[in-house]
Amino acid sequence: MRKNVKKKIVALFSAAALIASFCTGCGSKKENASGEEINVFVWTEYVSQEAIDAFEKESGITVNVSTFSSNEDMLSKLKSESEGTYDIVLPSDYMVEQMISQGMLEELKKDELTNLGNIGEAYLNQNYDPGNVYTVPYQGGVAAIAVNTSLVDIDITGYDDLFKPELKGKIVSLDDYRAVIGMTARSMGYSMNETDKEKLAEIEEKLLKLKENVALYDSDSPKSALISGDAAVGFVWSAEIALAMEENPNIKIVYPREGAYVFLDNWGIPKGSKHYEAAMKFIDFMLGKDAAKMNIEEFPYLTANEAALSAMGEDYCNNIAKNPPSEAIEAGEFVSNLDTDTLAIYDEMWTKLKK
Amino acid sequence: MEKAHSKHNWKSNTLPALVTVGPLTLILVLLVAIPLIYVVVMSFCSIDQYYNVEFKFTLDNYKRLISPDYMKIYGQSLLIALVTTLLCILIGYPFAYIIARTKSKKKRLLYMLVIIPFWTNSLIRIYGWRTFLGNNGWLNSILQTLHITNEPITFLYKQGTTVLGMVYCLLPFMIFPLYTALEKLDGSLLEASSDLGAKPLVTLREIIIPLTSGGIFSGSIMVFIPCLGYFFVSDILGGGNSDVIGNLIERQFQSGNNWPLGAALSIILIAVTLILVRIYKKMGGDMESLGV
Repeated sequence: MRKNVKKKIVALFSAAALIASFCTGCGSKKENASGEEINVFVWTEYVSQEAIDAFEKESGITVNVSTFSSNEDMLSKLKSESEGTYDIVLPSDYMVEQMISQGMLEELKKDELTNLGNIGEAYLNQNYDPGNVYTVPYQGGVAAIAVNTSLVDIDITGYDDLFKPELKGKIVSLDDYRAVIGMTARSMGYSMNETDKEKLAEIEEKLLKLKENVALYDSDSPKSALISGDAAVGFVWSAEIALAMEENPNIKIVYPREGAYVFLDNWGIPKGSKHYEAAMKFIDFMLGKDAAKMNIEEFPYLTANEAALSAMGEDYCNNIAKNPPSEAIEAGEFVSNLDTDTLAIYDEMWTKLKK
Repeated sequence: MEKAHSKHNWKSNTLPALVTVGPLTLILVLLVAIPLIYVVVMSFCSIDQYYNVEFKFTLDNYKRLISPDYMKIYGQSLLIALVTTLLCILIGYPFAYIIARTKSKKKRLLYMLVIIPFWTNSLIRIYGWRTFLGNNGWLNSILQTLHITNEPITFLYKQGTTVLGMVYCLLPFMIFPLYTALEKLDGSLLEASSDLGAKPLVTLREIIIPLTSGGIFSGSIMVFIPCLGYFFVSDILGGGNSDVIGNLIERQFQSGNNWPLGAALSIILIAVTLILVRIYKKMGGDMESLGV
């Protein structure tokens, strides 16, 4: 009998402890909801922690950062999470268009964006979001060519040269099918957004020649292979090349003569965000000159923020990897949305390349 | 009276069953059955122009599975898994034998040697290999300092590198079942064999291997199956040049954004697993030693 009572007391206490632990669980959640907090979903290696810290300090809003490494990853994560999970996203040009047409973005109250004037005219009012109703530009760049001159003795001036047999097993390439197939198309004088089946067959034939040359596919940090010398040539983002050049002076940047793959990433607020006002504050802060400066100092992409660029000094502006020349941008092409049938062909081509 | 009886019945039969089996059933239904059904249903769905899943029946996903390009990756994946399994047996068997036959405190030490690497995340360990094997990595530096080679050797981003990473990650899964089997092996059988004049190799072939075949089978299953799915190993060490089935699935759920096709690919992986487990059972394998 006594033993039974003891058992019951123990059971009672453990039950009480369990309930208490549940309560603290609820409690902490409530606390989070009252203290302002936003969930930011951005490209990896793209937004400076320093700028985020500065925002937290100024606004008192806590920022939780999650990252993605391709637009499609971001989209599928956004769709699989419940609405309101994220308050800020950073999609590229064509993805903005896709998200708008699926009603996945909130309209921005532009009069609240006091720093919008810092953004250069050339970056505003793009085809994918006319009038910048849903998004404002952040940074962009070019998928350029990195050449380690101590490891390569052929002349590389364009995408077409990446297919030369001399580069067998020497290339690090973006792990991104639209980029790689688009690059192949550009090297033949076609569009990155080719839909014509015959042309796609030609592109495929050429694409498969790249197989021999690519040592590895890496989108997250292709500069590592360039710096370590594991790859002599890179088909990677311009800023990655800029960072690699700082570590290894033999690396040079080449803007392809055919006109490059260019992109522009944009701040937006996903539909159903529970912290719209805080998210607007975040975007406005990031449009500010100081935050934009911190961002390009750490990740030297092409900034849409002209105020920040002019504050960066001559060295930065004259570095063609950090500040791509406007001719390179103008000659370039954006990726655009394609129909599912064409994308299925692209996907098959990519599978063939990687098998 | 009858009421009391039924109450008694409920308390003595149903309630204990509900308390003991109930939670497990619930977990199995929630975490195994429902997701599995979801995957099967998803694999017959189609997608709309924005790659959203549409609940419209189609066989297209399965039709795409039999394309020659995918076939080649399945083949490559099976080959990588096969070679990895064989290497794991070759390396794991002597090691497990030594642990099983060691009597002293050293046994625990040897066992710990297998377990300790598990305390570090496998992703980090695989990145470690990448740094170690790079053109300017440790191995090449050592080889060049010792003047064994003059030029750096490219170790990375080949099928062999992927196999190395797989063996490294999965070796413990081979060693544990082998160890269990070898531990159970009666030492007097080996003595009898040698008393009757069998040479060590004959003893190995006629006594040890047949008696530990259960361990070899379960180890092989536990290495072979994950090998088909460990996409991060082929991503990091293979540089995307030696994809396994796992890479195909990952690509459809991430950058390809085609969930139904990804689901259909997952079905293949599940089917391969089921077939292998079936063969294993047919050959007299013990489900318990798989940890099932």
